[in-house]
Amino acid sequence: MTFSILFKSLPVSLLYCILLIPIPLYFYWGIVNQLGPDPLRLLEHKYGELGLIFLLITLSISPLFKYAKINLVRYRRCIGLVAFYYIVSHICVYFFLDIGLSIDLLLSDLQKRYYIIAGFFAFITLIPLALTSNNFALRKLNIKTWNKIHSFVYVAIMLSIFHFILMSKTWTGELYFYTGITILILILKIKSTKLYKKLSTYSNADISK
Amino acid sequence: MNRTTMMDEVVNIIGPYILKILKYSDVTPYNFYLNRRKFVEALGLASLAFVPTPTLAKQSYSTNAKPNTIEEITNYNNFYEFGTSKTDPAKYAQSLTTDPWEITFEGVSQNKKKFDLAEILRGKAIQERIYRLRCVEGWSMVIPWIGFPLRDLIDELELDNNAKFVAFETVYRPTEMRGQKRATLDWPYREGLTIEEALHPLTFIAIGLYGKELPNQNGAPFRLVVPWKYGFKSIKSITKISFIKEQPYTTWSSENPREYGFYSNVNPNVDHPRWSQATERVIGEGLFGERRKTELFNGYIEEVGDLYKGMDLKKYY
Repeated sequence: MTFSILFKSLPVSLLYCILLIPIPLYFYWGIVNQLGPDPLRLLEHKYGELGLIFLLITLSISPLFKYAKINLVRYRRCIGLVAFYYIVSHICVYFFLDIGLSIDLLLSDLQKRYYIIAGFFAFITLIPLALTSNNFALRKLNIKTWNKIHSFVYVAIMLSIFHFILMSKTWTGELYFYTGITILILILKIKSTKLYKKLSTYSNADISK
Repeated sequence: MNRTTMMDEVVNIIGPYILKILKYSDVTPYNFYLNRRKFVEALGLASLAFVPTPTLAKQSYSTNAKPNTIEEITNYNNFYEFGTSKTDPAKYAQSLTTDPWEITFEGVSQNKKKFDLAEILRGKAIQERIYRLRCVEGWSMVIPWIGFPLRDLIDELELDNNAKFVAFETVYRPTEMRGQKRATLDWPYREGLTIEEALHPLTFIAIGLYGKELPNQNGAPFRLVVPWKYGFKSIKSITKISFIKEQPYTTWSSENPREYGFYSNVNPNVDHPRWSQATERVIGEGLFGERRKTELFNGYIEEVGDLYKGMDLKKYY
């Protein structure tokens, strides 16, 4: 009994460790100057990009299950939290190293820079999700409330991709790729909502008339 | 004694003299060496003009700031013709053929309008300029360029009357420049200056870096360097120069006119619509380096301030 629980939970904790290794590793490479001529920008972008990637993986888990019958649901919480830790690291690099702890710069960025505003709200949106990604919250909260809170991940991904688009100088290959995946995930999500199903039954009925 | 060894001899004789003038050896571990054909030809033939007039190569235009290392300068480049990542140019620029290289001039009244690079370099007083480079993205470097003021070239041409602007064009060779296969920008890359800016003694044509031939990723074999403007104005791998009456088409300002102006002078008081230009990250300062306060005209206000006297810099950004 205990053995099977251990067996089931072990891979997840191992997954946490593996997925989080790049955070200290990149930071170490930054300190020993192994990240090229502009280590700060590389570190900041790397954490941000990995945060986006893990967020997109988290969001792909339910369509993967639905359309490809690949079941990764067990790892969803882990990957979602890993995404959050990358985003926290990304913001730490921005605040502590990029703008050098300057509250003035932070406030002026938050007033004027659309990409910072989008990124900031994406982060704010994710905080309640991260705080409720544990068994305790699941037990305490009504499942409908919990689902509602966690549906805000779609708002976060939209804000994150806007953040990325707004800070880019041109449409690069990566930008097309991440935006494409985000749009695909959002379309699949919209298709699975009750409202969409209702509307499509109505319109089908209209056509058949 | 054959021709090559004779050239080597010339270089050996004038080499120490050049070293005395070109102070970069004080600040870098690199020795001056001029072993490539273009350099040897340029210097061999230029030596007569060069030696008796050492004041031509005075260093007053160079900054005292410590130059970035050659590794930094050659591995952190914006050269979208080879890809949009900063490391793409170092990876892919070797495919560009830079020899032979021809430059075509338009808006000149002389019969000969096409020149081989060696012909252009003939007689030029080759010198070093250590310039600060400020990128519109908010980072900066210090680069020891080798070349000559653009003015020296313009002075040799018979310009059509009333030329008000100079337009530059980068080579268009999708087979050699992989980034040009995609419509990242409206190729070929084009830039421009007013004639007054082009004739300014700070405006420089670089053919080398750290005393060596210009690496491909830095815009070989012939590029513009305008140190008081954002880096994208300093167009690379130039094949065409036109002297015209109207303000020319320029790539970034056409791509996004609200964000990139024709002038694009470095100015901490005029922000890019999406990010601040007040400070810059100094490349080479590492992870914990402090941001540097960006200076008006990138610190060259004494030299170029007069060009923009009375101009509303917020309007003509």
